[in-house]
Formats: sequence, structure tokens, C-alpha cells
Amino acid sequence: MDQGFTFSVFLVAWLTAAIRLSGPLLLAALGETFSERSGLLNIGIEGTMLLGAITSYLVTLWTGSPWLGLLAAMLIGLLANTFLAWMYVQVQANQVVVGIIFNILALGVASYTYRLSMEGVTGPQKVAMFEPIPIPGLAAIPIVGPILFTHSILLYLTVALVAVAAFVLYRTRFGLQLRAAGENPRAGSAAGIDIVRMRYAGVLISGIAAAAAGAYLVLVQVGLFRETIVAGQGFIALAIVIFGRWDPWKVAIAAFVFGAADALQLSLQLFQVGLPPQLLLSLPYLLTILAMSGILGKTHQPEALMASYRRE
Amino acid sequence: MAAQNEEGDPAYSLRQIVKRFPGVVANDHVNFDVRKGEIHALLGENGAGKSTLMQILYGQYGRDSGDILVDGQVCALDSTRDAIRLGIGMIHQEFMLVRRFSVVENVIMGIGDDKRWTVDLKKAADRLRELSLQHGLHVEPDDIVEQLPIGVQQRVEILKLLYRNARLLILDEPTAVLTPQETAGLFVVLRHLASMGHSIVIVTHKLHEIMEISDRVTIMRDGRVVGAVKTALSCKDELARLMVGRDVSLRAEKAPRQPGKPLLQLEGLSALDARGARALNAVALTVHEGEILGVAGVDGNGQSELAGAIMNLASITGGRVLFDGEDVTRLSPAAHHELGLAYVPADRRHVGSLGELPIHRNAILGRHRQFASACGLMEEPKIGQFADALIERFGIRPKRPDYLAGRLSGGNLQKLILGREVMRDPRAIVIEQPTRGLDVGAIEVVWRELIAQRDAGKAILLISAELEEIFNLADRIAVIYEGRIMGIVKTSEATIEQIGLMMAGEAHPANSGAPQ
Repeated sequence: MDQGFTFSVFLVAWLTAAIRLSGPLLLAALGETFSERSGLLNIGIEGTMLLGAITSYLVTLWTGSPWLGLLAAMLIGLLANTFLAWMYVQVQANQVVVGIIFNILALGVASYTYRLSMEGVTGPQKVAMFEPIPIPGLAAIPIVGPILFTHSILLYLTVALVAVAAFVLYRTRFGLQLRAAGENPRAGSAAGIDIVRMRYAGVLISGIAAAAAGAYLVLVQVGLFRETIVAGQGFIALAIVIFGRWDPWKVAIAAFVFGAADALQLSLQLFQVGLPPQLLLSLPYLLTILAMSGILGKTHQPEALMASYRRE
Repeated sequence: MAAQNEEGDPAYSLRQIVKRFPGVVANDHVNFDVRKGEIHALLGENGAGKSTLMQILYGQYGRDSGDILVDGQVCALDSTRDAIRLGIGMIHQEFMLVRRFSVVENVIMGIGDDKRWTVDLKKAADRLRELSLQHGLHVEPDDIVEQLPIGVQQRVEILKLLYRNARLLILDEPTAVLTPQETAGLFVVLRHLASMGHSIVIVTHKLHEIMEISDRVTIMRDGRVVGAVKTALSCKDELARLMVGRDVSLRAEKAPRQPGKPLLQLEGLSALDARGARALNAVALTVHEGEILGVAGVDGNGQSELAGAIMNLASITGGRVLFDGEDVTRLSPAAHHELGLAYVPADRRHVGSLGELPIHRNAILGRHRQFASACGLMEEPKIGQFADALIERFGIRPKRPDYLAGRLSGGNLQKLILGREVMRDPRAIVIEQPTRGLDVGAIEVVWRELIAQRDAGKAILLISAELEEIFNLADRIAVIYEGRIMGIVKTSEATIEQIGLMMAGEAHPANSGAPQ
């Protein structure tokens, strides 16, 4: 076989998968950007993704409509994160502890619900999914076409959300107030900003986005539910926010890099390169540890991130 | 009433304000008037209730009873939003700015009357430029706040209020962090604003500034107003007497004294701050026995790193610390203490004392081994005697050794810490911001003790941002700016202007005025 042809097949397969895999990461990371910009580290997005996944799976299974599945997942994300926001903002519990405990709880709830719902059902039940929509004309462009323009509606929406998020953060009154809450809540409060409201908003946005990202995994990528479907992608999204310097555009680039690292291992397995796949599989996680260690990006972090705020 | 009309009716009035906190009455039926176009000083010691009163006026605190009148009408004022709507603005001692935001973002953030949900930064910047031109407050709207000097940040705060159409500007200790030149600039702006019809309240305890800038003074003591006078008809001494309720000497008496041999020497000392940035740059200083060497400078120019580096509490990157000719640079802080080098840090609550422990435990902090038996048990009677002696000698209130240090007022806590260090009978003392936030009574005690220590032949390095303190106590003055010593002058030959210029970064022409 022609070497150049093989390479282009590999490239298309790899980059297409990279974009497909980075979709949910990007969605969750965009939401988390709002939470962290308001001053709260919402580690609970890992568990929220799982709750979103199980909800979307069951609702789609019962109704046959992936749109209803997605909507239900977002609703559950909103509810679960109202609780988280209350813990973070009003109770002022330690954000890391609450987030981690919530993730464990979510895992229990999701697997229990799944088992309960699947009682008496034999074999995996695949649900209706969002199918790829090749964009007419554009999808026919060689190489670039299949890579960029043969994705599901959720991916196109997620990409559009990057611009929306940037606009909201930098150009709206809400965005200004949210950022003030994350940088210097006392100054914001003295200027008349309702800090509690902003922080609630940040967490709720991250919750809805994370739940939608969980639904994305089910409704675009797998069509099934497994307890391991999220497998740390919420944590990877936290790392993406750090690599993306809390900026929607940079977060998008960082999400693509992580997606590409994940896809690389799939593609290389496909093409039977000699490298052990475990090594490549661990790449995103190694990057995550690096990002979370605080070696990177400390200087760009919102100044009041994780600092609790109480009105005097 | 006739007299009042002659002066113009008050624009903002507080009537019979009462505010109780658990255990104290912070404001006890307080009346306070500010007229249109006047600069009004609110004077009082710490804890006199002046900040509480202003925070009530700005809607940050609720009040137990009393009315707030604007232009003679009783107004509902229960939140900061209400206060802003009524044209009241306040600049806190600690600036309420978001450091990473631009000037214009800081100015417009939180403004609620505009109904649109997007922000037009360009339009806001244009209005801001217009305002800054109009009032002589030069500020570039697109600058990022953290890159601006403190004096400019204060202008941003003023513009923030003017942008919200504030007619009454309350400034809480506005000159605490400014150089004399910046202070002069601020006063020009304030006079201009007053001439435009704005009312201005300055909360302060600096008498000389009150004499310089204010039209009228209201004096508070123990939660009550004890006087309201026209500045021109009063004098510093009268104001001080009203403030503390007795006569105080505003000047410290200090006999001239010939300094002894060099005891504490710094040679090219460099150090990093907590964030790892270079904060101290090749500092060379010599403190002699029987001498107070004052280190003047605006806060944040390496003062705390200087003290930290001497005690080996900061990360030293170069240079040496010599004590009585011996290199002690890398010795532990405890070893410094053993040699006879005492340290009184600026942060009394968190570095100088353990708030959760009683006075008697704080009194023996660092020398607990001397108060323990051979098998390691604390000898309570001995500790008690020592604590009683300390309390007695330095007049600490309350006179209860079991009282928690964290509950002491700033002045009493400082007496405890200074007393503890002095009673070790050290040979040298490094003391940082010794009277920050203290009232006149406590300042007097601290100053007297420092002079007594100097007269007893101790070498004292006094680091202070208060020029009044430096000029009253120091025999020589070194000025620190961005971690460098800009020059050293004898106090007897120094002028405020010259020191002020050095504090703003102008090198002293004849760089070293050190004796020998």
C-alpha cells in the first residue's frame, strides 16, 4: 500500500476521533470555567457527568428520544449541583472534600439506579443516538471535510458554545460580575454585586454542562451505559481548565489536545504500531496530574478560587 | 440653628445613632453632620466608633436606632445599594479593587441602574476619561489595576465613586499607604472636589493632616461624640486632648546620646518575598549600641523581608548579617534570640502572639524552657509571677494573666509582645511597625519604652511607615524603596520633603549620611 495514502487515512481517522472525543471534555471544561471564574472549584463535575450519563441513557431508552434524554440529564445536573452550590457557598464546606464525596455518592446512585432499571433485562440495550450529520458541501472537502464536518449536532453546538461562553464572560454584565466574584469578592460586594448569586450561577452552569457532557458520552459515543463510562473525564476537564488558563478559547484548544492524546492511542492500536497502548492510554491522566499539581498556570488562576466568602 | 444656617444646612446628617455589638455600645446616640462642599474630619482613637459610624452611613452595618437624613429628609438606608443611590460613597482603608481587572472594569462593576445586560466598555472608558480630566485625576481606563502605584489605585477608587454620582465621599485613613507627595496630591484633589460642591469625610487619627485639610472636625471617644469644632478655631493640642480625654505629649522627649560600637550590621543582604520575587536588594545597614536606626518607607517596599532576613525567617539569597562581629546569617531564629537579638513583628496577631493562648503563656513564648522543671513540666507559680510582673510593668489591660491574647486590643497586645521581648534583656531589637493601629495612649507607652531601651544602650532597628514616629524616635533615618536603601540621613539634618522624595524612589544626592 502507498505510504502517503496510509498516512492520510491514519491522519483522518486520528483527527476525526480526536474531535469526537474532545467534545464532552470541552463541554464539561467550559462549564467548569464558569464555576472557577466565580471562585469555586467544582470537583463534583466527575460525578455529575455520571449522573448525566445514566439519566440520559434511561430516559432515551424509555422515550426513544435522545433530545429528551439530554434535557433530562441537564435537569438532573441542575438539581444535583444546586445541592453542591449550597454546600460550597452557604455551608462553606471544603470544596475538595465535598466534591470527592459527591463523586463517590454519584457512582453509587448511578450504578444502583442502573441495576434497578435493568432488572429482568438480558443483554445490553442500545439506545437511540445523535447520528453524525455531514455538512453538505463542506464534508466533501478531502481530509479537512471528514475531520471537521462529519460530526453530531452536539459537537457543533459545543463548539458554538465556546464563542457564547467567551462573549458572556467578557462582554456581559453577568460575566463581569461573575469574574469579580472569583477575583475579589469583598470588592465586588462593596460595589454592589451579589456574590452568593454569582457563585450559585457558576456552579449551576458547570453542573448543567457536566451533565450534558455525560449525556454526550452515551448519546454520541457509546449508546450504552457502563459504570466506567466517565472514567475520570471530569477530572481531565478540571485539568483542561487549568491548561486553558480559565479562558474559553484556550480551553477549547486544551480540550482538543487531550482529545487528540486519547484518540492517538485508539488509532495506533488500529494501525498496529509497536508501542504498548497502556503507555498512550495513560497520557491524558499524566497530563492531568501535571496540571493539577499547580506547577502550571498558578499565576492565571482566579485570585479568590477556593476562598470562602462570608458577608460581614 | 441660626449658626447652622449661616454655615449652610447639613447635606447629610446622622441623628441619635445607636449601634450595639455584643458587650459594647459602638455608637451611643451619635449625631453627625456634613455640609455641602466641606471637608470634614472624623477623629478618634481606635475603637472610638468612627469606622462603625461611617459603615452605618454607607449601609454596611445596620443600626439599632437613629435616623439618617439627606438634605433634611429622613431616608431609608439599609444597604450599600441604598447608600450608593443616595449619593454616598466610601473608600476603605484596604482598596476594594479587583487587581486583574482594568480600571474601567473596576469602575463599572456592580452598577445596577443600567438595564442592559451587555457592557459597553468603550463608552464607559470615554465617560471615565472625561471625569478624570474634569477632576484632575489622571488615570488611563485600560490600565490593569495591579500594575498601578498605590496612589493611582486610590484615584481609581475616587473615580469609581464619582462615576456613581457620589455627592458624599467617605475616606477611611486615606493617607496610610501614601508617600507625602502622593498625600499632597490627594489633598489637592479633595479640595477641588469640595469646591465643586462634594462633601468629604476623612476618618483619621493623624492630627497634622486634619489641621492641613479639614474645615471642621468631629471628635469621637468611647462611642460618643465629644466635640465638633471648626478646624481653624482649634489646635492640635486641643484635638488630642478631646480625643483621648487627657493631655498627651505629641512629641517624644529624647536626650541626645552618643552611639556606641556597631552591633548589628547588614552587608549586601538580599532576600525573596513569599511569592519568590526579589524583595530585598543588597541592603547595607549598621545599627550601633544606644542608637535607634529608623527605616522609613511606604508599605510593601521590602520592610517585612528586611526584618525577616535579619532573623533568618525570609529566604536569603545573598549577603551577611553580623551580630557583634559574628556572622549569624544562617543561624536559626531561636539562636538569634539566644544571642540577644529580639524581634517584634508587624503582624501582632499571627506572628507575634498565639491568640488562642492566655497572656501568661504568650509572656513566656520562646523561653518556655526557663519556666519548666528538669522533667519538662511547666512551673505555673513561676510563670504566674512573671506574667503579673509583665502586666504591671507595661500596664496591660485587663490585668488577668489567664485572659486570651487573641482578645486583647491591639495596644495591649503590643505592650505584651514588646514587654516580653524587653524583659529578656536583649542587646538589640528589631521592631516592625510598632504602633500601627494603636491609639495615642498606647503609642505613648511604646515610644517611651523604645527610647528607654535606647538610653540603656540597646541597638534598635525601627521599621515604620509612620514618618511622625520615625522623626520622633530615630537617631538616623534610612529610607527603603523597592528593596533598596535610597540613603541614610541624620534625623537632626533631615526634612520631611527630602525623606518623602526618597520614599518615592529619588536617591539621596549624597547617598550615605551614616556617621563614621
